[in-house]
This record gives sequence, structure tokens and C-alpha cells, in this order.
Amino acid sequence: MKHLPRTCALTAAAVTMLSLAACSTTDPNASGEGGGGEGDVTTGSGVTDSEITVGMLTDLSGPFAAGAAVQVTQTNAYWDQVNADGGVCDRDVVVDVQDHGYDPQRAVTLYRSMAPDVIALQQVLGGPTSAAVLPLAEQDDVYVGGVGWTGSALQYENNQLPGASYAIEAANAVDYLVDELGVPEGGRIGVVYFAGDYGGDALAGAEHAAEERGVEIVAQEITSQTTDLSAQASALVQADVAGVVLAAAPTQLASLAGVLATQGADVPIVGMNPTFNPSLLGSPVADALVANAYSITSVAPYASDAPGVQAANELYASVAPDGDVGWEVPLAYVQGELLRQALEGACEAGELTPEGVVAALQESSSVDTDGLLPDGLDYSQPGQSPTTTVYVSKVGAAAEAGLALLEEFSGPSAESFSYGG
Amino acid sequence: MSYFLTQVLNGLSYGLVLSLIAAGFAIVFTSTGVLNFAHGSIVLLGAYLVAVLHPTIGFWPAMLVALFGAALVGVLINALLVRNLADPEPGAAAILMLGVDIVLLTELTRRIGNQVLPVGAPWGASVVRFGDIALPTGRVVAAGVTVVAFAALWYLFSRTDLGVGMRAAAADGPTASLMGIRLSRTAATGWALAGVLAAVAGVFLTSFPSPGVAPTIALSAFAAIPAWVLGGFDSVPGAVVGGLLIGLTSALVTGYEGDLEHVLGAGFGEVAPYVVMIVVLLVRPSGLMGSKEAVRV
Amino acid sequence: MSDLLRRLGGVALLVVALALPLVLDDFWLQTGLFVMAAAIGAVGLTLLVGVAGQLSLGHAAFAAIGAYVYAWSTGETTTSVTGGGLPPVLGLALAALVAAGVGAAFSPVAGRLRGIYLGLATLGLVFVVRHLLLNLTDWTGGFTGRSVESFALGGFSFSNRDPDYLAVGGVEFEGLHRLWYLFLLLAVVACWLAGNLRASRTGRAWANVRDSETAAAAMGIGVARAKAAAFVVSSAYAGTAGAMLALAYGRVAPDVFSLTASVDFLVMIVLGGLGSVAGAVVGALFVTALPLVLAEYSSALPFLAAPGSGGLDPSTASRIVYGLAIIAVLVLLRGGLAGAGRRLRHRLGGGGPSGDAGTTDPDTPGPGPTGRTAPASGTTDPSTPDGSHPAAVTHPRSKETTR
Repeated sequence: MKHLPRTCALTAAAVTMLSLAACSTTDPNASGEGGGGEGDVTTGSGVTDSEITVGMLTDLSGPFAAGAAVQVTQTNAYWDQVNADGGVCDRDVVVDVQDHGYDPQRAVTLYRSMAPDVIALQQVLGGPTSAAVLPLAEQDDVYVGGVGWTGSALQYENNQLPGASYAIEAANAVDYLVDELGVPEGGRIGVVYFAGDYGGDALAGAEHAAEERGVEIVAQEITSQTTDLSAQASALVQADVAGVVLAAAPTQLASLAGVLATQGADVPIVGMNPTFNPSLLGSPVADALVANAYSITSVAPYASDAPGVQAANELYASVAPDGDVGWEVPLAYVQGELLRQALEGACEAGELTPEGVVAALQESSSVDTDGLLPDGLDYSQPGQSPTTTVYVSKVGAAAEAGLALLEEFSGPSAESFSYGG
Repeated sequence: MSYFLTQVLNGLSYGLVLSLIAAGFAIVFTSTGVLNFAHGSIVLLGAYLVAVLHPTIGFWPAMLVALFGAALVGVLINALLVRNLADPEPGAAAILMLGVDIVLLTELTRRIGNQVLPVGAPWGASVVRFGDIALPTGRVVAAGVTVVAFAALWYLFSRTDLGVGMRAAAADGPTASLMGIRLSRTAATGWALAGVLAAVAGVFLTSFPSPGVAPTIALSAFAAIPAWVLGGFDSVPGAVVGGLLIGLTSALVTGYEGDLEHVLGAGFGEVAPYVVMIVVLLVRPSGLMGSKEAVRV
Repeated sequence: MSDLLRRLGGVALLVVALALPLVLDDFWLQTGLFVMAAAIGAVGLTLLVGVAGQLSLGHAAFAAIGAYVYAWSTGETTTSVTGGGLPPVLGLALAALVAAGVGAAFSPVAGRLRGIYLGLATLGLVFVVRHLLLNLTDWTGGFTGRSVESFALGGFSFSNRDPDYLAVGGVEFEGLHRLWYLFLLLAVVACWLAGNLRASRTGRAWANVRDSETAAAAMGIGVARAKAAAFVVSSAYAGTAGAMLALAYGRVAPDVFSLTASVDFLVMIVLGGLGSVAGAVVGALFVTALPLVLAEYSSALPFLAAPGSGGLDPSTASRIVYGLAIIAVLVLLRGGLAGAGRRLRHRLGGGGPSGDAGTTDPDTPGPGPTGRTAPASGTTDPSTPDGSHPAAVTHPRSKETTR
């Protein structure tokens, strides 16, 4: 151990000297950020004279790969269509898709590599992954869309939620159960939810609504690995619930509906946005689903006849005639639509930069999307859901993608719900 | 009272399915000393084969193909990879299986896609009623099949030359080899048996009350690890006892979550098996029915 | 002679590591931060598993404790979470100390169990810690976690602020660049300490316990004490790694410290070659960087299908390549990556008279348990020779045959 410390020390000293000599704390670019664009539009990261690059961090090899692939296809198709119609701000929009595989470490690293070259992030899919990326993007003042509907994402001012948050969905679910599906005052409503931000947010909304409407909540926490809900269903039957709110995934919806039916509990089950998948209608519990399952979504369901949804469906059918259909199709389209509006807002303000897009988002207090999302979305109040309106659908064997739209719904407890209050 | 009984039966019937998986872990471990991290993927593979084949060839033939397929994959993994490890030791073997798991699971996830594939079991969503307790028919069938499977395993291990040879090989490989027992054969049998048990468990895990084959099934197999461990690493009866115990614990903790939540925190059902496992290991370091190690200081 | 070359190689690598931030972009910097954090965790685990023979699948639990201790002790109390408001340096030290303390508390359990039983009992630890992280929301922030204060030392912040602008040689040094040097310092110190520890009296006592507890006890080694000490040291490493991960992310959440993370640490040390410090570092590089690099560059491969088209897309392919790479290393390379590196160097060096570069080193302490020397090198040089000897890997197997 004689040579090493000496060599090391010498090297370190040399390096330190060199570094100090090369060191500077005055920013030569302090004035005038970014290059000048054409005309009077200031441009920044991800924007050239002919192209705007947006990023998409999604899960193409992890648990949500299949649904994510539908969204990638649809997103690419959406921007191709926009480009064919002249693009945004006289530029073509290109999408840089990267796969984080539901791994926060990969998501953060890929964000680092992407951030200098994109103006905004079209999507960061997944709870843990978006939770890791959102604070970094907020620091860098980069727009992030498509992180799902968890309330915890609302605290980031750079985030755009595509419709009502989960707490709003769940509060509406309780309102709908009480108003339309015959849950009596003083009755009980089961809430079966995933541990985590999705389930936790939904539970918070349901608890708020239960207090408002004078019903009692029977909560059951599960994880995504719980595929047999016998024990939970038995507990709900024992508690004599008159309805169930489910904040989980399709597997859990099928199991819960099936077991409840076999235990003679003929009660409505209202699932949050991601709980339904058309392929469930091929499973042995299809009858139970058709009888009792409802879905509350923040985005209009595939079967909606609103012009925006029809446009989204037609576009998807033209690029992926054999692709899976479901709520991902309108969702991906409307996420593109929301970002396009933000980009155009930034362009009009003459600030086609990441900061400009975020500013445009924060100024939009009444966004309309041709019926893909409820009209009048308000993004000017950070920390709160942009709307209290959701779509209520009934599972039906005949409906397109298995969900028939019943109505747009905004219940009293959803309207009185507020985050942090 | 009937609520308590319902939860007990839910737990025991689920526990039996877990014990099939746990027995697979135990058999592979005793016959080749491998901690099989890919077992979950083999469970998924078995269920996936049934799900894609049953529409064309019917449920029972599909089941046969799945049993054979899962067994074959196990045997091939052992013959091609485990036996060719550069450093044949348990740590490397476990990590090797992790690599196999990544490959298998990624490919199966891609094939399954956004679907929940029903396995088309003939018992569908029907239930059997005992008084006012309803139990899914699938679970009753599972209980019967599991009992038969374990009876067959008992017969194999205690009454046949092959089974006795496997036990001898597990107890002392080199000596067994000197006595004329072919270790390659006992190892292959072990992997094949584990594959068969995994495929059976896969079908029960994905038929009612579960809706069908989804990639998360591979993770559910991890729930069998505490069952295996607390039963004892090298004990098939231990796997049964462990499975039942874990199934019962989960069902009761879930069933009485409302009463327990204030003390233990929400979602304790997920950790309960591991807590039970640690406690059992503290009292009995070789598990409930595992053979004790000879080393003493 | 070969020894001098090795030293020079180490120094050269260090210089390269010091200079890298001048040329790397953010992707590689972030990758490097994750690699260095993982490397420290892996070195700690290889001391426990490779040197002392105590299989642990619970390393991520100790890393989680370190990460949350750092986040809590340096954080400020807000409406949702409490915090200690301590200086970051103290937080980092606490992270290692508390994790070590928990390791000490767990060591009576570890003392009762052996081999794979111990491994799976520690697996339970991951789930128990996760349950606590999810439920002690005042401290941890629950499922979504809490944000982490950036590191600072005497007014110099390892973030994008304070000083707001800092450039070296014309390259702007932001938080990632600054953290790189902090992590590099920690990693070099950690590896150097681990190398020394392994070659020391304590390290050889651990190796004896690994090879045979009976023999070790007969030689006067306190077996229970040696095992406890190994757990404490390894947990301190894990705690430090956890705090570094928290810094690299800028926030902590329970999902970062899942079972997968625990298993990944084990993959690193097995791929690298059990018991080898350099191997653990190379293993950490392999396991951490490969998926990131594959994810970043796989879309450049022309023969793969577009995502969502149903064919074999780049993401799926890169995941499969990662799995196959693990399999290939284990089937093809004896002694893991470190073993392969050693053989490659010998071949290149034309087979020096010593056979093993380490044996002619006059500076390293006496022979290791199996007669080879263990170097006390402190560099992250992946080609550093080491005593990753067969005894390191025969232990669990001898367990099997003594049953």
C-alpha cells in the first residue's frame, strides 16, 4: 500500500488543480436562453424550425405492455394525422417513445436522456414510474401528460390530468350507487382497492362521499397479485353491503363479480377506469358481469357516439384493424389532443419552449375535446381535479368494447370534494 | 359462525393449491439443490398452454399437453442449463433460474397481451353448497386432485425404486451415485414432477374464482414460498402443511381485516405469510417438517 | 511488474472516472449514479454472502432503511410528513448507522439460521419493511413516498442550485455532475475498506465461519459474533447505498426497494463472482446499466417490429436479451465476470511466473483462507485480481451434503 496512496494523492492533487483552473461560476449564457426560431416565436428544447419532438415514457415490456402498446399506436397515428393537416406552429410533431418497463430507475434515467431533446412528455405511464419522474420534470418545468388519474399527481403544476381524478371517480361512484342503484341511507358500501396511490385516492373519495351521503364504507385492501377474491367477497357479504366500489384491475373485477354471484349477493359493482377489459366477457363470469358490473371512467368509453370518440375509433381502426380495442383508444387520442392544444397555446404566446407549454396549460381554464372528455376542463387551479364529471357505463355483451354508455354524471359529493381540504 | 367457516374453507382450499406449488419448490430443491425462481413462470406456462389449446382440442387434452409441456420445459432447463453451470453451486443456480424466469415471463407476457384468457375449465363458475356455505366447484376439484396428487407422491417416494432413489440422492448425492443410482435420472424426474404440479396449480389458480390467465399469476406463485419454507425445504408433507397454514392465515387476516387494521395496519394480509414464516423459522430453524442439519457447534 | 501495471491501471481508471462528467450527457450520468449506488450495496452483500457465507435476500430492506433514514433526518416537517431537519452529512452517517443497528438487531435471528433458510427468512424482512413503509405514513409518506433533500456540504449544494452556475473546463456542472463526484468518493472508499476488511483478521475469520462453523469455533473464532459483525457491516453498506439511491432519485418510495431490488443485488454478486469486491462492482455495472442501455438504444435496431404491432418489439427483445445475458454468464464464465476478467488478463499478460498476480504483492497482508492473497486495492478497477476462490462457492453445497 505504498505506491497507491502516493500516486492517488498526486493524481487527485493534479486533477483538483486542473479543475480549479477550469472552474467558473459565472454563466456565459445567462442572457438569452435557447436559440432564435423563425419569426417571433421563441423556441427551446425539442423544437427546430421544422419539427417539434414530444417524449413518451411508457411500459412496453412490463405488466402494462399490452394496453400501452395500443396507446403508442394510437398516439403515433394521432400525430401523423395532425402533421398531415399542417402540424403545430408550422412544424411536424414527432414522438420519441421509450420503454421504462414499469421500473422507476429506468424511467428516471430515460427521462434524463430525453429531457434535453423534447418540449413536453406526452405520457409517463404507471404509478411508481410517474411518481419518480414528475418531481424531476417539475424542476425542469416540463409538461407531463398521461400519468393516469391519481390525485397525488395533481400537486405537480406541470401535470395535465386527462379528466377527473380517481377520488372524483370514486365519490361519483358512491353518489351513483345511492342515487341510481338503490343503496339506502345508512346502508353499507364495500370498497375493494389496490394498496397504493390509485386505490388510496379512490378510497379517500369514497370516504368523503360516504360521509356526505350517510352511508358506511367497508374497506378491503388488496394488491395486484390478489387474483382470488373469495375471502374479500365473503367479508363483504358478511357485512351485508348494498354495493361495491372497486379500484383494482380487470382480473379482480371478474373474480369479485363471480364470487359475489355464487354467494347470492346480487349487488352492483362499480369499477374505476382501469377495471374493465372486453376480454372478460369471454370468461365464465360473463353473466355476473353483465348483470351487476358498472364502469366509471374519466374518458368517454369506446362506445360513446360523441364526435371525438368516433374520430378516435376510426383513426385507430385505420392504423390497427386487428388491434385490441378498449378505453385506451379514446384515451390516447385525447391525450394527444390535450397536448396539441397546450402546444398551440404556447405557439400563440410566442413561447414554444417547455416553460411556454406549461404556462399555456396553466392558463387553460375551459378545455373542450369534442366529447372525449367532459367539456370545460379547468387546469388553472393546480392541486384540484380539472372536472367533477365522469362517464358511467354498464357492462353489456352487445356493446362495443363491452361497455354501453349510460350517462355523464357529476354527483353532489364529487362536487364538494377537494384535495387537501 | 358460518362466516368463520366460509373463511376457513376459502383459506384451506386456496392453501391446497399453494401447497401444489410449494411441493414443486421442495421437489426441485431436494432433487437438484436449486432454488427455482422460474417456478412461477412454469405455473403461468401450464395455465397459458391450457388457455390457448382448449378451444381447439378441448379442456382435458389441453390439460394433458400442458402437463407434458411444463414437465418437458423443467427437464430441459435442468439438462441444458442447470447441469452446465460454470460454477455448479446453489447461488448461481438460483440466479440462473432468475434469468430463465425473465425470458419465459417476458415472452409469455407478450403473447398474453392485454387479454385475460379463460382456461375453459368444465366446472365453469359453478359452486358446491354445504348448508349455507358455498364453495367454488373448482376449489373442491382442486382439493380432490391435490389429495390424489400427494397420495401418488407419497407412493412414489416410499414404495417405488425411483422414488427411494430420489430420496437417497437428495440425502447424499455422491453416496447414492456410488450405490448405482443415476443422479441425472432422479434429477430429471424431480424437475418433471415439479413441472406437472406447477401446471395443475396453474389451471386451478386461473379458473374460477380467478377469471383467467394473466401474467400476474407468475407472481402469485411467490406466495407459495413462505408455505414451502415454513413446511421445511426438503419435505413434501411439509409443503402441504405449510400451504394450508398460509392459506388459512391469509384468509382469516383478510376476512377480519376490519377488526385487525387498527393494530396491524392496512393490507396486513400480504405480509402475514412472511411474518408467520419468520416466527416458525425462529422456533424451528429447519421448518416444521424439514430434516435438521447435522452441523452443530 | 504486473502489480505495478495493475496499480497504474487502477489509477488510470480513477482518472477516467473523474474526467467522465466532462463528456457524458445526462443519461449516462444518471446511469452512473445508479451504478455507483448499486455497487456499494453489492460490495456490502458480497462481504456477507461471499465472504461470510450468510445468504441474504433482504438487502433491499436495509437499503430502504438507509434511504428513509436519510430522507427523514434531513427533511423538513411539512403538512404531510415529519422530518428531522439535520445536516445532510449527518443524515448520511445516520443512514449507515441505523441500518447497521437494524442489522445488529436482526443478527440473533441470523445466528439461528443457515444457508438458504437464512436467505428466505431475510426475504420476509423485505415484506415486513415494505409493510411498515406503507403504513408509517407520517415518516415515510406512504405509497407515494417523500421527496429527498439534496446533499450539501458547507454551503455547497450537490444540486442545480448553490452555486446556481458552476462550470469546469467549459462544461456546466449541474446536480448530476456534482453527485457523480460525491458518489465516486463514497464508492472508492467503500471498495477500499471492503478490500482491506476482507484481507484482515476479521475477514479471514468470516471466511473460516463460512467454510466450516465447527472448524472456526475450534480455532477460537466466536462464530455468533463473526456472523453478527458481518451482518452489521453489510447492513451499513446497504444503508449507505439506500441513501445514495434516494439522492440519485431525488425521492424515496417503497417500490424502489422491492423484492426485485433485493434479488438484483444477489444477481450482481453472483454474476460478478461471489466474494470478489471488484466482481461486485462489475456485477452492479452489468445489472444496473445493461437494462438502461438496452432500453435507450434498442429502438435503434432495425430488424425489430414497431411497438404495438404484435411482433417482437425492441422493449421485449431487450428484456429477453437481459435474461439471456444472465444465463450466458452463468453457464459460460467460471468465477463470474471477475473470474473471466482474471483469466483474460493472465492470457494477455502471457502468464507471469506467479500464476496469480496477487501472490507476489509484498504489500498485501498474508494469505487468505485458501492460500491465495486477497488484495487491499481500493480502486474500482474491474480487473483487480481477488481471492474469489472455490471455497467461496462450495459452502452452501457442503451444507447440502452434510444433511
